[in-house]
Amino acid sequence: MSFLDVLSVIWSGFGVTAEVTLLSLAYGVPFALIFGILQFTTQGWCRHAATIVIEFWRSSPVIILLFVFYYALPLAGLTLQAMSVAALVLGLNIGGYGSQAVRAALQSLDRGQYEAGMAMGLTRIQTLMLIELPQALKAMVPTFVNLLIQLVKGTALVSLITLADMTYKAKSVAQMTFDPASAYMGLLLSYFIICYPLTILGRSLERRLAVAKEGGHV
Amino acid sequence: MTQEHDAKSDDDAIVQIRNLHKWYGPFHALKNISLDVRRGEKIVICGPSGSGKSTLIRCVNGLERYSEGRILANGHLVDHRSDHLRLICQEVGMVFQHFNLFPHLTVMENCTLALTRVRKIPKAEAIEVAQHFLERVRIPEHGNKYPSQLSGGQQQRVAIARSLCMRPKVMLFDEPTSALDPEMIKEVLEVMTGLAREGMTMLCVTHEMGFAREVADRIVFMDAGAIVEEAPPEEFFGAAKHERSRKFLSQLLH
Repeated sequence: MSFLDVLSVIWSGFGVTAEVTLLSLAYGVPFALIFGILQFTTQGWCRHAATIVIEFWRSSPVIILLFVFYYALPLAGLTLQAMSVAALVLGLNIGGYGSQAVRAALQSLDRGQYEAGMAMGLTRIQTLMLIELPQALKAMVPTFVNLLIQLVKGTALVSLITLADMTYKAKSVAQMTFDPASAYMGLLLSYFIICYPLTILGRSLERRLAVAKEGGHV
Repeated sequence: MTQEHDAKSDDDAIVQIRNLHKWYGPFHALKNISLDVRRGEKIVICGPSGSGKSTLIRCVNGLERYSEGRILANGHLVDHRSDHLRLICQEVGMVFQHFNLFPHLTVMENCTLALTRVRKIPKAEAIEVAQHFLERVRIPEHGNKYPSQLSGGQQQRVAIARSLCMRPKVMLFDEPTSALDPEMIKEVLEVMTGLAREGMTMLCVTHEMGFAREVADRIVFMDAGAIVEEAPPEEFFGAAKHERSRKFLSQLLH
């Protein structure tokens, strides 16, 4: 099997890798926004509850979460498809980190922005949605691109719960050809091909936002 | 330090501050402050830094919570219920030391935001109102710019226009010229003087004693969280009663 053949087998798993990534984002982005905002705006028990949820997803090893959700939940009568488990676990794990970027970006805003909003009679929610979040979102973009790259790399773990992603395909090639070296070299190259453009995208976004900040334009 | 305010309820008072106290933990930031602002009156609050001037006017629109006493703003009790505060903030405008314009919105959007979102008036109408007040602060041509494209003096004038758009009954100024370069202070003070002439009720924390002398009906001098002296400007600048006020003035006027 030529190296190109190895690559083409690996890339036959790209669809699954992409699907896991996108579905994870569908869990992770809303989770990051909602819990980051909750941590920023609430106090007392509500803030504690949000913090506990965030810390659960941030401080548990993803691979163990995958196994627990895939193998242990069915014992409690709840069976989820492998794809759902993958998206949920990867998404909320990365969303946990994302929530901290959201909270930090909101906290880094000048408090005068909040005060000006409240002083003109806006509600707390209007102040958040019209004044604080639009500014904070810009500050979050670089972190979010980093997290997206983390997420793509993290999807390699889903091969352990039977999903036929690129890593899964590489493993099967390695077993079939008894040539793990070229299988994993090919896999490494494949992830690099996906992630490197994302780092470039991240840097160009950062530059554009830096220019926008100076000029004041969005 | 004991301000003996008789209980005569001044019906003309648009802001009534009665026996106000504020503590930050053990620190007694405002000590038994009573002050009435009558309709159309211009009051300048001055005093050394840390004397509680800003804290006091920030209590009037609820940006700071007070610990004891009470404030009535245009008849509404400032009581930190968010729906009450929103009503009060629609009638009490505020201009901040650091302008606090919204950097992600244009000058025009800054001015129309509260009109469309709080007053719920149509956008076209809001733009007309905003344009009117931008003309009044003499920057009609910068509506489409972003705040960062303007000078500090222009930004503060936009902030004043933004506040005026809501047609407030009272304007609070929290050291509006302290963050400005000297050559820009004048343009902002001119706008404020114009406002005063037109009869706006103003409660203004400032170190600009020239402005105070020209515009104020009363000067309130604060030190260490209490009102030390309250007098018309001629009296305050000519013959301040208290040692502490005289010392402050001598440092200020050299």
